[in-house]
Amino acid sequence: MSAAADAVRELVERVAKTLELEGPVEIVETDEEIVATLHGEDLGLFIGRHGSTIDAVQHLAQRVGHKAGDTEARIVVDAEGYRERRRNALERQADRAAHDALRSGRPVALDAMTASERKLVHEYLRDNSEVETYSEGDEPDRHLVVAPATTPAG
Amino acid sequence: MTDAGAGSRDLLRDVTAMLVDDPTKVAVDSFEEDDGTVVLELAVADDDYGKVIGRGGRTANALRTIVKASAVRDGRRVLVDIVD
Repeated sequence: MSAAADAVRELVERVAKTLELEGPVEIVETDEEIVATLHGEDLGLFIGRHGSTIDAVQHLAQRVGHKAGDTEARIVVDAEGYRERRRNALERQADRAAHDALRSGRPVALDAMTASERKLVHEYLRDNSEVETYSEGDEPDRHLVVAPATTPAG
Repeated sequence: MTDAGAGSRDLLRDVTAMLVDDPTKVAVDSFEEDDGTVVLELAVADDDYGKVIGRGGRTANALRTIVKASAVRDGRRVLVDIVD
């Protein structure tokens, strides 16, 4: 395991301990990605409102991981399937927004999201040539807008 | 001082130590305001302020967010001041 992965594990364990979460931290490391997953129950405090806490832990994990200097891998912090659930929820929201935008012919604003979530939705909808997406507003209210494509598909 | 915010203070100290080049210079002072708010004053080596603040203040905000989460169980308001 890389020094970066060790540093990420140490950070996640340190935060979890303060939140009285003793669940094990699982590390899966490839050349592209280091994923640290906190296991256990009642992880709501670790995740936070709209994922604000887990995203803060992930930001800090990226800082300490890349400081270790032996990896270029993307660093992800997860909690018992949270990222997958969140991705599914965001994709459903994106599908609904695209549907509504096409039916009404008007732009549809999504809820405020973090930069990484906006990117996820933007990339998800890139496969749909009938709509386009762009960001509006300032943090922490910055959000994606889904609009009918200005250039006709095909 | 009392134990108010001790868990948050130790968390801030330990996580900051992982971020900086000189962990021996990390210091966290804490005091309690009249309304019970715990204020944590974070100091690091001169060359390390950029590391704890981060681009656009993102790292400082992340530190504040995890400290806030750590105080939820105590029902405490905890503020982080980065002093130099």
